[in-house]
Amino acid sequence: MNLIGYACSYIPVEILSATGLNPYRLLHGDIDLSKKGERFVRVDACPMVKSNLAYVIENQEKFAALIGSTGCDMSRRMFDILSEHTKIPVYVVNVPRTDNPAIYNDEIDWFVKQLEHFTHRKFFDETVKNEISKWEAMRTKLRCTDKKRADHPSLISTADFHKLMTSYHKGALTDEIIQNQDPTDKPRVYLLGSAITYEANHILQLIEEKLRIVGDFNCGLSRPLGISIQEQSIDGIKKAYYDQPPCVYKRPHQRYYDFIRGETIRLGCVGIIAWTLDYCDVHEFELQKIENVFNLPVLRIRSDFSFQGLSQLKTRIEAFAEMLCTRI
Amino acid sequence: MYQDLTPEKIGLKEWSKQFRMVGDSEIKEFKYYNNDEWGIYLSPPATFMVYGTRQLKKLKFDNSLAALRLWGFTFNESERLFRARQSGKRIIAAMGDLGTVPVIAMAFPDCIPFYPDCTWWTPFFNESTVLLDKASELGTPEASCFVRSTLAAFHKMAYFPKPDIMFASTGASCDDYSCIMQMAEEMGYELNWLEIPFRRQHRSFHMSEEHAVTDSGFKYPKRFETYLVNEYKRVWRKMEALTGTGDLKKLNASIEKNNRVRRLVNDIKDLTQTADVAPFPALEMMVIEFGNLYGYADIDEWLDILKMIKDTVADRVEKGIGILPSDAVPLAWVTPTADPLLLNIVEDLGGRVVATEYVINQALTIIEEDIEPFQALARSFMNASLIGSTEERVRQIAGSVDSGKIAGVIITNMLGCSHCAMETRLIEEKLKNVPVLAIDVPAPLGITEQLKTRITAFIEMLR
Amino acid sequence: MNDILTSRERFGLLVIDEKPDRCNIMPLITSHAATVKGMKVRDYYTNGENMARAQIAAIDKYEHDAISIFSEVGIIAEAMGSEFEYPENDLPIQRTPALEKKDIEEIKIPSPTCDARLPVYLEAIEYAYDALGDRVPILTYIPAPFTTAMMLSDPNKFLIQTIKESSRVESIVDRSLAAAIELCYHVIDAGGLPIIVDPLASSSVVSPKTYRQYALPSERKLVDFLHRYDLDVILHICGDTSPILDVLPQTHADLISIDRVNMQQAIDKLSSAVRIIGNYDTSRLAFSTPDDIKAEVRNMVEGALHAKQGYIAATGCEVPIKAPEENVMAFVDSVKEVGWYWV
Repeated sequence: MNLIGYACSYIPVEILSATGLNPYRLLHGDIDLSKKGERFVRVDACPMVKSNLAYVIENQEKFAALIGSTGCDMSRRMFDILSEHTKIPVYVVNVPRTDNPAIYNDEIDWFVKQLEHFTHRKFFDETVKNEISKWEAMRTKLRCTDKKRADHPSLISTADFHKLMTSYHKGALTDEIIQNQDPTDKPRVYLLGSAITYEANHILQLIEEKLRIVGDFNCGLSRPLGISIQEQSIDGIKKAYYDQPPCVYKRPHQRYYDFIRGETIRLGCVGIIAWTLDYCDVHEFELQKIENVFNLPVLRIRSDFSFQGLSQLKTRIEAFAEMLCTRI
Repeated sequence: MYQDLTPEKIGLKEWSKQFRMVGDSEIKEFKYYNNDEWGIYLSPPATFMVYGTRQLKKLKFDNSLAALRLWGFTFNESERLFRARQSGKRIIAAMGDLGTVPVIAMAFPDCIPFYPDCTWWTPFFNESTVLLDKASELGTPEASCFVRSTLAAFHKMAYFPKPDIMFASTGASCDDYSCIMQMAEEMGYELNWLEIPFRRQHRSFHMSEEHAVTDSGFKYPKRFETYLVNEYKRVWRKMEALTGTGDLKKLNASIEKNNRVRRLVNDIKDLTQTADVAPFPALEMMVIEFGNLYGYADIDEWLDILKMIKDTVADRVEKGIGILPSDAVPLAWVTPTADPLLLNIVEDLGGRVVATEYVINQALTIIEEDIEPFQALARSFMNASLIGSTEERVRQIAGSVDSGKIAGVIITNMLGCSHCAMETRLIEEKLKNVPVLAIDVPAPLGITEQLKTRITAFIEMLR
Repeated sequence: MNDILTSRERFGLLVIDEKPDRCNIMPLITSHAATVKGMKVRDYYTNGENMARAQIAAIDKYEHDAISIFSEVGIIAEAMGSEFEYPENDLPIQRTPALEKKDIEEIKIPSPTCDARLPVYLEAIEYAYDALGDRVPILTYIPAPFTTAMMLSDPNKFLIQTIKESSRVESIVDRSLAAAIELCYHVIDAGGLPIIVDPLASSSVVSPKTYRQYALPSERKLVDFLHRYDLDVILHICGDTSPILDVLPQTHADLISIDRVNMQQAIDKLSSAVRIIGNYDTSRLAFSTPDDIKAEVRNMVEGALHAKQGYIAATGCEVPIKAPEENVMAFVDSVKEVGWYWV
């Protein structure tokens, strides 16, 4: 029981880590887990939520606490169900959708007090500084890797990058770096949409058989790298997490689009992969806008984590890649 | 003077026949915005059917004059909003919060709040995919909640006029609503976003902080009131800027008036749900409950209608007469159905709705009148159905189950609705002492014989 | 520009004094629908499903804004006892008026569900409403009492009676009014919006005095009856109505459909009180060319589009059964080019 599970990019890992527990982002996405999750929710729930539910309930002995947020409705409600079906203490943080830093700051203060109370340990300034240093160092290292991914030519695949980010999200901080570079001139694309789950690496590999993902805005990939803590304190954490490139669920979400537009230009992307999970409203509602505003070809990939449509998906990716090649 | 007949539920053609007995003077007596020229609304269901509300051919209605007034008034709402605009009133769109922003809007002269969200019923009443198809064309996913029809209505500008100002609540709300509102903003509608906090339940392992308790018994962190107060004050300032006026005494008056509505509705619900024989149908009762959100764009007339309904219901209760057999099976209904026909069907098959949880608990509770008004509004909103846990949401239903008042529970689910997907199983578990039937509300015109058979079997089993 | 609204939404806005995306287009496509469907005219007016299917085919083809359930104005008179022949490829022809065989007191108020071809109408409304009622208004033409009264009588005798036997004419008109109201009850319950047609009250047929004495009061009573339902009532009178334009608002109709009247004159006299419908010359649809029609319709619409209470682009009378389809299409297309309010 050494894990503290969490489910949102706005939950600071530094604070989780200060408990002495291992932060573990709930990013499971697997057809078997998803089916098991349907014991607790309807079939039209998000497959990642279903997978996470099943994972936590099956592995509840590993979790000392669970941290939710008001990020998306289904995710928030997932913790309601986990409260009912496990004895794991659950804390849900109000992460405002509107531009309302006061609420976020209050909630982080509340959250810190709760975790101190829960772990019977005070998060002294020194503890916080150490955690910030530790996680910042990790993010710095990952940013270097990310930069290689973004290079011209791109030196590292996102499938490989995903493995590193998986370590980060599982709290398993390692010094591992990617040794085998894989430079390529495949069409450069940007990935956005629903979370890339731990089990979704094969999808990235499939995409990158014909394309190279050089940047992304997905939970499970590089989103934490937009967090850079300048002031080594709780206040510094609040500011850095609040100011990270905004999630699509923010209202209004113009900044989300501005950020991605800037990234696609900076990275020289010639296309966009829009990855959505079934019933993931927050992202599915954006698909048409994504096609309209970025002036780039978009390949939509919708998934419930099953493998049924993979051959068809492969063909679609190939066609998309061919189309991009003719445009370059 | 028209005299009510023996209570029963009747179809459209029967209402047309009965309508022949309604005098011209009675038709002219009831009008919205007190306007003689275009404010008359007492028409039989056939009138609205002729204009495209196709489901009225199938629905059954209460046969009282009060019910006729109710239907005429509610089906007239779209026209009413346009007439409001034509006569110089301001149109205030509130979205997502379901019950509080309109109370503020009504404190300003000639301001008419309404909920575009309520367009989600239109595809069903019209038995039409016009709005849903347009919503898909505009980019909404087909596997999302029927509320997507609201976006089509914003695009078409034929169901309500362009609002003068719009307030959209987000945060601890359905994702579908939030996404629809975002898309409306991108169409060029200017939105004022409000934050709704999640009413975090206090757990035994939580470190204590200052809490307060709502009328419904929900405990919440006291500081959340402050968040809402700040948001409501922002609404107030926006309204001041729009109208050039702002008198807090009028906010108190608005609260009082809305409380009159809420008390009347509570009385009607109590009478209806506790009578030996059901005195009023479930469909009309759903319409009555939702009137609490904004008084269907003329709260004064709505108040008058409610008084008439209450008199009708009270009279029936006193006489021991009603519209269903006395052995109808008492049911609770959780989550409002997008398809009104389902309420008819359940009653036709032997059920009787005696408790409801229609996700608008915040609009049913009385707003405190002896405290600062913004705080009162905040405290009333903390009763909201969807901002807390599922357990809290069905607590009252569970209480009625335990006391033996309810034989079964019907939950209606809307495909793609984020809270339905997550809550239904948990509600079933929470209400384990009573049989539960979960119904997926199909798309317009999608109710099948198979579904009716399931409902029949459920009610037979309860019986 | 592409349509933003459905016909139903468009008409709905017009009748609450709102400008829709573009003006409504309601050429009086009645029996012409049989031609569009490739159906014998007799099959159209003797079978409700056929009538509806033909109307739907016309909507599919022309994409205008209303279904028009109608064949001819004798339908109530027939149900009251007048006898008609049914030519295979033409409209029914009156053979014997009811009052040639019976006296007025003997004529019963017909039952719309079983007498003569009234059930054909109801069946057509039901079918069309089920098929398209959510997106297109189902206009159902109700012969006005004065017109029915004349169809119950020998026309020459009736016209003489209007001068010499006013009480008899009034009783025939009253009976016809009762029959029209009974039909309206059923039409409304089926989903049709009654539109009152009174072609024999036209100034081309009767004097303005006769109109004021008999037709107008009965039209008003029928309109007032429909107003009890809060319905928006259309009154259509074919032919020349110039001499009675001033009094038409006294019918209380909400929309007035005109035929052989100068449109500008009609706008001047009527448009502050009622919405105007009209009035393209249907003979032009039969004999002109698409290009000419387009130009003429454009002129008509540009002149009438901003009539104060609203405007519906229509033909002045029924589209001829054999009107070339490209001509009807030219009419609709032309309105869609110039008839926009939302830009």
